[in-house]
Amino acid sequence: MSTAMNFSSKSFKPRPPDKGAFPLDHFGECSAFKERFMQCLRDSGYESSACRQRAMAYLECRMERQAGQLMANEPLEKLGFKDLIDEKSEAKPEK
Amino acid sequence: VVPGETALAFYKAKNPTDKPIIGISTYNVIPFEAGQYFNKIQCFCFEEQWLNPQEEVDMPVFFYIDPEFVEDPKMAKVDLITLSYTFFEAKEGQKLPLPGYQ
Repeated sequence: MSTAMNFSSKSFKPRPPDKGAFPLDHFGECSAFKERFMQCLRDSGYESSACRQRAMAYLECRMERQAGQLMANEPLEKLGFKDLIDEKSEAKPEK
Repeated sequence: VVPGETALAFYKAKNPTDKPIIGISTYNVIPFEAGQYFNKIQCFCFEEQWLNPQEEVDMPVFFYIDPEFVEDPKMAKVDLITLSYTFFEAKEGQKLPLPGYQ
């Protein structure tokens, strides 16, 4: 039996993102945070786990800008940063 | 990237023309079978994005790899997943053509 390369059965079905699209940061309001994140990636040999703090800072920047227009306000715990938030609140008990 | 951990990635797009462009992007995951484990939380895709002449913007993608990825025997040899985007101009012609419209 010959194995036919049936491309139609392998057609890729893109899925939309869970929380929708990011509006573009036309004015580069969060570019500094992005740069810090990218620097961390370069320094760590592109290890994503090492740079989660800075990724979180970038997303926080987006949420703060333009009354949340760069990103809808979402508790960071729901975006996979719960462990980092818990660390933060442990370090600042007075807040 | 650790499966289950959220991650951030950046792409960059530039409009090299002297006219504003409305672009839209679509993505692709290689290897194909890994695509089912790729979960986008938020990205710049699927919606039209406006770029001014000569404008260059950062395009973030916030995603995670489904932790079930590590349990799939077909994925055992996969240690590199490539996510690529094609950003192309949203064609005006895709809207309803008006008779006699030039």
